[in-house]
Amino acid sequence: MTQHVDVAKADERALDEFLKQVERRGLRMAELGTGNREDALDLVQDAMFGFVRHYAHKPAAEWAPLFYRVLDNRLNDWHRRTRVRSRLSSVFGHRDGKVEDDEIARAPDPNDPGPLRRLAGDRATQALDRALQRLPMRQRQTFLLRVWEGFDVASTARTMRCSEGSVKTHLSRALTALRRELEDHV
Amino acid sequence: MNPSEFPEWTRNAKALLDVSAQSLDAATLSRLNRARQSALAQRHRRAGWWLPAGLVSACMLLLAVGIWQKRAPEHPATSSSASSNAMANFQPDDLQMVSGEDSLDLYQNLDFYAWLDAQQSEGDG
Repeated sequence: MTQHVDVAKADERALDEFLKQVERRGLRMAELGTGNREDALDLVQDAMFGFVRHYAHKPAAEWAPLFYRVLDNRLNDWHRRTRVRSRLSSVFGHRDGKVEDDEIARAPDPNDPGPLRRLAGDRATQALDRALQRLPMRQRQTFLLRVWEGFDVASTARTMRCSEGSVKTHLSRALTALRRELEDHV
Repeated sequence: MNPSEFPEWTRNAKALLDVSAQSLDAATLSRLNRARQSALAQRHRRAGWWLPAGLVSACMLLLAVGIWQKRAPEHPATSSSASSNAMANFQPDDLQMVSGEDSLDLYQNLDFYAWLDAQQSEGDG
């Protein structure tokens, strides 16, 4: 019984560590996909819930592709919802209400490196973000999974539920587009 | 990932993405932490719900099996109509015997009481 409890605690720790490792990257991926942090945070939270509910019992070696698969699904759903909403908005002329003024969001960030350093470092990051956001969703996901996460072609294909050929095509197009956009920055 | 697999500039892009992920602000990190804790807590809640439900189901199953075995005849019926056979063998006297106020001992020692009655009758005669 004690041994069983120890194993459960070790599993729990491993799961916690894994989520800690992927949550920031997951958030950045979602942010690049949605273009805003609030939605990205919601998507990452949903992805964590879905991953823990459905895949936590799987071997740890399979966790990363499975987590990103869940996140990829959430991103696809988000894009579908957004498309439908924008169609409805264009039909009915609906305008979203103004975002409430958030005191906490406006408070100074203790991790902020200061305006000058931020400006220098941010230029390249902002250029990269813009270029990535302009990519079609599948190309962006392929680039992030292959280049940033370091997944091989097969894992990326499984994560994105497409063929390995599609992964190669998406990546090739993404690299060409990014190279063109980022010539002066990276 | 094989580093030579991609163009050189992708290393810079990767480094920029790494930095952007590492330099998230405190409020965002706090929300990520809460999201993670909630996701893990959900696992406990699910386990906490299934464990008692499983135990109750197992107990009820054991109880049902126990009752069934106690009520089953010593020589189980070979056909699937065991319950209908049991009903067919049921006599109205049985019901009277069970529902009557007399002690079951009386029925169990009926031979003895018949013998005793016979002895008394002989003595009287």
